[in-house]
Amino acid sequence: MAGSALRRLMAEYKQLTLNPPEGIIAGPVNEENFFEWEALITGPEGTCFEGGVFPAKLVFPPDYPLSPPKMQFTCEMFHPNIYSDGRVCISILHAPGDDPMGYESSAERWSPVQSVEKILLSVVSMLAEPNDESGANVDAAKMWRENRDEFNKIAQRIVRRTLGIPN
Amino acid sequence: MPVILLNRLPLPNLKTYVCLSVLALSSCVYFATTVIKNPDWNKGKSGISNENETFNETDKFSGDTRPLRQYISEIFLVMVHEAVCVWVMINMACCCLILLGRCIQKLVFDELRISEQQHLEEKFWNFIFYKFIFVFGVINVQYMDEVLLWCSWFSLLGFLHLLSQLSKDRFEYNFQLSFSLTTPVWNHVKLLTLLICIFALSGFMLLISTFVGFFEGLNTFAFMSAEVILLSLRTVHVILRYVMHLYDVFRDGSGSVSNVSSSVWEKRGPVVYYVELVFEMSAYIIDFVHHLHMLVWSNIFLSMASLVICMQLRYLFHELQRRYKKHRNYLWVLKHMEQNYPIASPDELSQNCDNCAICWEKMESARKLPCNHLFHTMCLQSWLEQDKSCPTCRLTLNIETPMGGRVELLPELQNDPPQPTRRHLNHFFHFDGSRYVSWLPSFSVEVSHAQLVRPDQLVATNSQLDAMARQVQQMFPHIPLSTIVDDLRVTRSVELTVENILEGHVVPPPIFRELDVRPTVVPMSTNSRNSPTGDSFNVDEESSENWDELTSDNVDMEEFSGLGSRFSKSSSEREYMLHKRKEQMLRVARKKYMEKQKTKLDSSQR
Repeated sequence: MAGSALRRLMAEYKQLTLNPPEGIIAGPVNEENFFEWEALITGPEGTCFEGGVFPAKLVFPPDYPLSPPKMQFTCEMFHPNIYSDGRVCISILHAPGDDPMGYESSAERWSPVQSVEKILLSVVSMLAEPNDESGANVDAAKMWRENRDEFNKIAQRIVRRTLGIPN
Repeated sequence: MPVILLNRLPLPNLKTYVCLSVLALSSCVYFATTVIKNPDWNKGKSGISNENETFNETDKFSGDTRPLRQYISEIFLVMVHEAVCVWVMINMACCCLILLGRCIQKLVFDELRISEQQHLEEKFWNFIFYKFIFVFGVINVQYMDEVLLWCSWFSLLGFLHLLSQLSKDRFEYNFQLSFSLTTPVWNHVKLLTLLICIFALSGFMLLISTFVGFFEGLNTFAFMSAEVILLSLRTVHVILRYVMHLYDVFRDGSGSVSNVSSSVWEKRGPVVYYVELVFEMSAYIIDFVHHLHMLVWSNIFLSMASLVICMQLRYLFHELQRRYKKHRNYLWVLKHMEQNYPIASPDELSQNCDNCAICWEKMESARKLPCNHLFHTMCLQSWLEQDKSCPTCRLTLNIETPMGGRVELLPELQNDPPQPTRRHLNHFFHFDGSRYVSWLPSFSVEVSHAQLVRPDQLVATNSQLDAMARQVQQMFPHIPLSTIVDDLRVTRSVELTVENILEGHVVPPPIFRELDVRPTVVPMSTNSRNSPTGDSFNVDEESSENWDELTSDNVDMEEFSGLGSRFSKSSSEREYMLHKRKEQMLRVARKKYMEKQKTKLDSSQR
C-alpha cells in the first residue's frame, strides 16, 4: 500500500528533522519522489573516517516498511562492508527471506520496526567497526586486516574529498 | 508476455507518416475525380449503373454541377473498386487512429515518461504479435474481407488496451512514486474520465461482438467477447483502485502526517484485498480459458501458433497458481492470527502508549502477540505473510503453512524483487528456417514475462542520471541538482542540458537563486579527484588561503542554527531547509577538519 508507506516515510522524515541524531541528516531531495532520499553521514570521531561527511542515497520500496530500503553511498568509499559501487552491505538492510551469504540469523535482518534513523546509526557504527567477515569489498577487508596504516590513509583521503579539501 | 522483436523496423516518425498518408489519400481522390470526370465511367457495370447513367445524362450539359453528395459518393465508389485505393483508405484510418491517440495523450497525459513509453511500445508489439498468431494461426482466415474485419476489430481493441495500460501506469506513478497531492485534482478528473470512456466503449464493443456472434456462431462470439471482457475488467479494476486511493488521500485532508482514524483502515484492508484478488483471478481465468479455447479450436497442435499459445497458457497457469498460493497463505495467516493472537483489550491499549511499530500510526484496535507486542491487525497480517516472527523482538512465531512446511519460499514472491522469479520465465525462441529449407526465413522472438523496466534497470538509469547531473552541476554550481535532473530526464544528454542552461531554458527555482551553492566546494573537489594519491598533508600557501576562505564561509552559520527544530508544512520549504541543513553540516565539518589539521601542523612544525 503506497499510501501507508508514504505516511510512514513522512513521519520518519518529520522525526529526523525535529530530533536529528548527531551528525546525521536525511530526507527526500525532491518531494515529487518521496521514495528516494539523500542522507549525509558524519564519520564517527576517533576513527579513520573522522570528520568526513558522506553522502548516500536511500531508495524505498513501495511496500516499505515491510521491505527494507536500499542504501548506496554516492561518494567514493573504501570499506570492507561497502561494495565498490557504494552499495552498503549490512544485515538490517537484508530482507528476512533472502540470505545471500548464509551467515546471518533472521534476527539481524530487516523488520518493520527498523527505521531510517536506525539504519543510518548502524551505518555509522559500521564505519567505526567494519565487519571483516562479510566482505563486500575484499580488497578493503584484506587491507583492514593486514595493513591498517594504508587503510587509514585511504580513508583520510576519502574524508578530504567529501569535504572538498585538496590533498 | 511481452514480445520484443529483436530487429526493430526503422519506422518513420509521425509527421512524415501523416504527410505520406495524406498525400496517398489525396492522390487517390485525384485519381477518382479524373475517373468520374468521364461521365461514362461506370457504364460497363451492371445493376445500379443503369440508374446512374440516366442521372449522368441529365447532368451532362451543366458540366460538373452534380450535387456534392453524389459527387462524393461516386468518388467513394471508384475508390472502393480500386484495390490500391482501399489500402490507402485503411492506412488513412490507421493514421487517424494514431492521431486520435496522440490528441488524447496530449490532452490527458502530457509528456509520457520513459518507462511508460517503453511499456506502451512493448505492449503494442506484443499485441500485434499475438493477434497475428490468432488471425493467421488460429482462425486461419482465407478471405481478404475477413482479414480486414478482424484487423479493424483488433486495431480498435488494441487502441483501447493501450490507453487503459497507459492510464494504469500513470495512476500507479501518481500514487506510488510521487506525493499524491502534487498532482492537481484536474489531472485525476481527466484520467478518470478517460477510464470511464474506455469502459463505456468496451461495453459498446461487447454489444458488437454479441451482434456478430448472433450471426457467426458461438465461437466467434467467445473469441471476441473474451478480449473485450478482459479489457473492461482491467479498466474497472484501475477505476476502482483509483477511487479507493483518492478516497484515501482526501480522507486525511492534507495527506501528510495527520493521525488517521485507524478503524476505517482496518475495515478497508480486507475489502481492498478481496477486490484485488477477485479482479486478478478473474482476469487470469478468462485469459486462460480464452487461450485454451483457441488451442482446442485451432485443431492444429503442431504449429508455431499452438506453440506460442501453449507458452502463454503455461505462463497464465503459473500466475494463477502463484496467486492462489498467495491467497491460501493470506487466509492461513488470517486464521492463525484470529485463533492465536487476541485483540488487545482497551486496558492494554491504554497502557501501551506507543504507536503501531509497523506503520507508526496510533492504534485504536490491535492484536497482541504472545510476546505482548501490539500491532494493527492489517499491519501484522501483511508482515506475517512474508515472515514468521515478531517484528519487535524477533520471537519466532509458530505458524505452519497450509502445505505443512514453513513459509520460507513465499517472501520472494511478494517482498523482494520479482526479478529472480521472473527472470527465468523469459523465453527465447529462435527459429532457424534455413536449416530446414533454404528459403525459410530465420527469426528470433523473445517472450518475456517481466515488465520491460525492471527495478534494477530503473536504478541503473537513476544512477546514470545522477552521474550525469553531477557532471552538469560541476559546470553550473548555482543550479540545484533536482532542476538539472529534471532537465536531464527530458534531454537524456549532458550536452543538451548544458545547452539548455546556457540558453537560459533551465533556471533555478526562485528560492535557490539568491543562495550560492557551495561556491568553493565544487571546483576543489574536481581538483582533488585529479591527484592520484594523497599520502601526505602537503599544506602549502595556497590551501592556507583556502582555510581563510573556508572559515569565512561560516559567517552566516548562526542564521540557520535553529533549522533543526522546525518541520515546515510546505514541501518546497522543507526541501530548501534540508538543502540548507546539509550545506551547513558540510561547512561545519570542513571548518572543524581544517582547524584540526592546522593544530596538527602547528604542533609538528614546533
